[in-house]
Amino acid sequence: MASGPGRNRRLESAVSILLLVVLFFIALAVLIKQADVDMTRFGLGAAAQPDSQNTPDLAVLTPDGFKEFSSPLVYTAGNLYEKINGKAPLYLDAGFLKLSTQRFVSRTDENLWMEIYLYDMAGLKNAFSVYSVQKRADVETLSTMQFAYETTNGLYFVHGRYYIELLGSAESPDLLEAMKNVADSITAGLNVDGEAQIPELDLFPTHNLVSGSFKLSLKDTFGFADLTDTFTCRYELNGQSVTAFISTRSDPKNAQKIAVSYSDFLVENDAKPKSTADEILKKVAAKVLDFYDTTEIVFFLGPFVGGVHEAEDQKIAEEVAVMLINRLTDLTKTPKQ
Amino acid sequence: MNEQNNIELPRRQFLSRSAKAGISIAAAGVISHALYDPEGPTPGVSAEDLVTLPDFSIPPEEGRTISIVIGSDRTKAVGRAIELLGGLGRFVKKGQTIAIKPNVAFASPPMLGATANPGLVAEVVRLCYAAGAKQVLVTDNPINDPASCFMLSGIAKAATAAGAKVILPKDSLFKYTTLAGGKLIRNWPVYFGPFSKADRLIGISPIKHHHRSGASMTMKNWYGLLGGRRNVFHQDINTIIAELAMMVKPTLVILDGAEVMMTNGPTGGSVSDLKRKNTLIASTDMVAADSFGCSLLDLKPYDLPYLAKAHQAGVGTTDYESLKPKRATIS
Amino acid sequence: MRIVTARRISQAFFFTLFFWFCIVSTIGDKIWQLRGWPVDLFLWLDPLAAIGTALTTHTLYRPLLWALATIVLTIIFGRFFCGWLCPFGAIHQFVGYLANRKKTTAQKISLNKYRKAQVIKYFILIVLLFMAAFPSIAATLQTGLLDPIPLVSRSFNLLLLPIFDRSVNFVSVSARFYEGAWLIMAVFLTAVLLNLVIPRFYCRFVCPLGALFGVISRFAVWRIGRKKGDCTDCRLCEKSCEGGCEPRGKIRISECVLCFNCLDDCRGDLVSYQTTASNAGEITNPDVSRRGFVISLASGVLAVPAIRLSNKMGANWDHEVIRPPGSLAEPEFLKRCIKCGQCMRVCPTNVIQPGGLDGGLENLWTPILNNRIGSSGCQLNCTACGQVCPTAAIRPITLDEKLGRGSFADAGPIKIGAAFFDRNRCLPWAMDKPCIVCEENCPVSPKAIYTQESFNTVRDGVLTVRKAADNFIEVEVEQALIPGKFATGDYYCALARPSTGGLAPDNRVKIAANTESSIELSASRNIFEEDIPAPGARIEIQVRLQKPYVDIEKCIGCGVCEHECPVSGKKAIRISAVGETRSADRKLLLEPG
Repeated sequence: MASGPGRNRRLESAVSILLLVVLFFIALAVLIKQADVDMTRFGLGAAAQPDSQNTPDLAVLTPDGFKEFSSPLVYTAGNLYEKINGKAPLYLDAGFLKLSTQRFVSRTDENLWMEIYLYDMAGLKNAFSVYSVQKRADVETLSTMQFAYETTNGLYFVHGRYYIELLGSAESPDLLEAMKNVADSITAGLNVDGEAQIPELDLFPTHNLVSGSFKLSLKDTFGFADLTDTFTCRYELNGQSVTAFISTRSDPKNAQKIAVSYSDFLVENDAKPKSTADEILKKVAAKVLDFYDTTEIVFFLGPFVGGVHEAEDQKIAEEVAVMLINRLTDLTKTPKQ
Repeated sequence: MNEQNNIELPRRQFLSRSAKAGISIAAAGVISHALYDPEGPTPGVSAEDLVTLPDFSIPPEEGRTISIVIGSDRTKAVGRAIELLGGLGRFVKKGQTIAIKPNVAFASPPMLGATANPGLVAEVVRLCYAAGAKQVLVTDNPINDPASCFMLSGIAKAATAAGAKVILPKDSLFKYTTLAGGKLIRNWPVYFGPFSKADRLIGISPIKHHHRSGASMTMKNWYGLLGGRRNVFHQDINTIIAELAMMVKPTLVILDGAEVMMTNGPTGGSVSDLKRKNTLIASTDMVAADSFGCSLLDLKPYDLPYLAKAHQAGVGTTDYESLKPKRATIS
Repeated sequence: MRIVTARRISQAFFFTLFFWFCIVSTIGDKIWQLRGWPVDLFLWLDPLAAIGTALTTHTLYRPLLWALATIVLTIIFGRFFCGWLCPFGAIHQFVGYLANRKKTTAQKISLNKYRKAQVIKYFILIVLLFMAAFPSIAATLQTGLLDPIPLVSRSFNLLLLPIFDRSVNFVSVSARFYEGAWLIMAVFLTAVLLNLVIPRFYCRFVCPLGALFGVISRFAVWRIGRKKGDCTDCRLCEKSCEGGCEPRGKIRISECVLCFNCLDDCRGDLVSYQTTASNAGEITNPDVSRRGFVISLASGVLAVPAIRLSNKMGANWDHEVIRPPGSLAEPEFLKRCIKCGQCMRVCPTNVIQPGGLDGGLENLWTPILNNRIGSSGCQLNCTACGQVCPTAAIRPITLDEKLGRGSFADAGPIKIGAAFFDRNRCLPWAMDKPCIVCEENCPVSPKAIYTQESFNTVRDGVLTVRKAADNFIEVEVEQALIPGKFATGDYYCALARPSTGGLAPDNRVKIAANTESSIELSASRNIFEEDIPAPGARIEIQVRLQKPYVDIEKCIGCGVCEHECPVSGKKAIRISAVGETRSADRKLLLEPG
């Protein structure tokens, strides 16, 4: 360790310390970088997480004679397709927030198990929409709940903002019974604030209405992008089934606009306008169109757009349309309660 | 004096070294920038294996870009149309190999107008040989089975009779390409073999209504150069047509409006879909040709968004009148 | 503070940092696990990796831009990386110090003299770079063999850490295994122990990265040199010279690793770090003769086609080389893999293994999946390997791309191979033993393994009835049945075939239990409504087998089935690299549609 006049100790010291300071900042930078934790880029952890808060506790729903078969899992919009694959867009387009699932298995027969799908759709109308568009044909609606039906191995119903499916592993009456118990626990125990009724259903006259045939299409009704939030139902007259629809718009001007553009859309797609003898239809300037040998009727009244879709018989279609118009006329005259 | 040298020498050395160091750093920086790859490799084709279609276009001449001939005889009309643009000798030089790409998309009889007219193709082949071409190749990558398309459309027979060599597509003739500035044509297989051997390229297409794109004319004709699962591009049909027009630079395009398929295109199927319009267009500007051609379909250029895209990309102009089209009528 | 103190602290700092990165490369979010630690930092800083991949791929992958910083600093300051940063160099220097502590000054000076053999590392560099610069598809990146950063990375991650962690189980919950670690050890130990012969042996004679720095530092603005003054020729400057660069005379700039020991030791304070040339003269160029250069170049150029004569890039491709998901096609992969072992280190199931010599030079220390080792084959929901690969030889794919979801739904999942049954070993196929472990563990949905039911008569399974009543059948036996053998629920009793041949399909009942000479039928079905076997009738004991098949369109080659297969040793279902999505020319099936 020689030291002579030629060696600039001061400079050497300063440079050494400067370099150590550089090392310090490198260490700091590395420490900052390590805090940037994004575990999903390694894949693991991107799948469904068990979620303890903000989810209905499904375990309490375990029916008698059953036990938990899997841990409760929660899916959000980001990974919904991991659970239901191609069906995901149906829910995602309808306001989907969260799906909670769990399986319960019978204590006595391990082949008998059910899975509960609890979809939080953020609102009653959304839940009703996904319920109604997936409703299977020829099912038994349940009287105990407003919107519910069962199949040989499943139970499907709406509870406030939730759409719930209980799917069984086998067509077993015992399993269905257990599922009904679960459904009862849900409706009794799961709190839902907000709307409990869908007022739009009352817009439709009840005469000849096929019960349980209501559907809510949130967008792209009948292929027309602007026809949103449209309720449809079926009427049976003279042995024929007719689909009627009503959509509540923001104001009468918008109703007129939608009605006009929808009938224009039909015409663009080769529908041919027809004349009608019916006075009431003429009074509201309803459009009657022949669309590939079916009858389409479109009208607007106050803030409502309504009509009949793909009816086989023009006379019957007109009859139903008139029914709708009369009902809506009464409603728009009556002061709001 | 010595001392002075001693002081200056080190300084000069220092400056020289610093300069060299600086240049090295700059070189390192420039090379890094040139090679910089922020996204990392993509699977599939490596950049080395990409090809680019040759540019077959010839220098433009004012007033001789587009010609329109009215007449019922296609054979006579095409000869006149090319004559108006300076004669085939302007486009075809002696000893050259010419590639002709007609529309052979469907295994459809010629009378339905879904494919290029065989007589027209044969006439263009004949004209090429007359202008001194060494060899004329006729080829396409059809939608239906190639052998039956070439046969049923009558084009194989007509072209061979006129002396052309008909080439059917096969795997080894396809190579990958990426269009510079393209959004869709990236690492995509393109029908390359016959065109890599040619000196000039001539496109021949009928005027057809098209269900997806509105119309199928000279630019859409190049869809036949795409390989792979190309129908995926139908989802962005206007962009792909514009990109095809950027990718392919032909010498000359011939747009046959003798009988125009007015509806139910591109396959048609009924003679009633056709309407006689007795018009034939030859052009070195595809956008102009299509812009004029759409009038024969009772469409306006703005009905075909791909025209605007191609115009914006600089492929040609939709304002064909500004090119002073040469017009003629023949009996 | 002396500059050598700063240098020692720097070496300790970077060595510790490197060691820390090795420790934390386990997936997890604790502070001692991967989190966001930039564990590839040393590999990114390594210009040999950057320049090597630039030559082979004509691109500079973004993270490798760090190497530009190293290059620029080297151009300005000299081989600071070797003396201050390189963890391998720090090991060599330390071992050399330990070995020579007790030696005399004269001996030390003698050990640090410049040797002509120091030029060998430049030849090695030239060979490696020319192999990389080979045009087009044939270019191959073999810098990883001798590049010190990948080398020390392999040695720590695949050798030292697994050995020392085995008992502690801190880094990994279970012991990690790496095939061919013996070779990694041989190379590492040789390099380290050679320091007992000559200090910094590897750095002076072998290291291609050092050679690269030697070339780059030609125009260094600051360099070690002698100031004006009278040198007594005591040679103390060479007592601890790390680079073997002869600071007492014409200093060889390309060999100087900036250890600053000469500056510290010089009694006359004549050595300094200066911008002027050394007063005693300097040699800036490495001692590479034209002949040596040409020979190295020719070797490098010849080596590539020589390696490729095996046709391993063509028809003779090795189907047992299963690369991690996200790997590029093989020629492209070999242009980028620097054999650093990060993917092997981070793989949570320990299934990625370093290739051995048996696969050829190009496969050596590249990642190959061995589904027998580790905990479960390639885990479905994991993309860790691609995330840590410093050169994107394994692309950093997202989970969506790996599983073929979301925007990748059209492309489908990434397949790294396909499973093939060895029906000569598979229990249901060859040994009449029920087993569907593979099908149960297949992680994809719908499963890529499906089964078909079949019933086989067991050995010595045709028995004569002595008496039958309700659910019990007593049989005549030459050799007593093993009690309970048929009670597993897989065995059925059927009426033996009539002499006309054929067995009615429903004519069997599950066996519930058996004794040495009787069989009890399960009560759930009773065929004997019509047909209680009379004494003397024949019955067959059949085993119900679910024979597994691979659905080749769904199989992604993850290897979980191979891992779980109970047929130990050579598994009855094995993955082969056929059908891997990264290679267009290794398809098993034609493209659908």
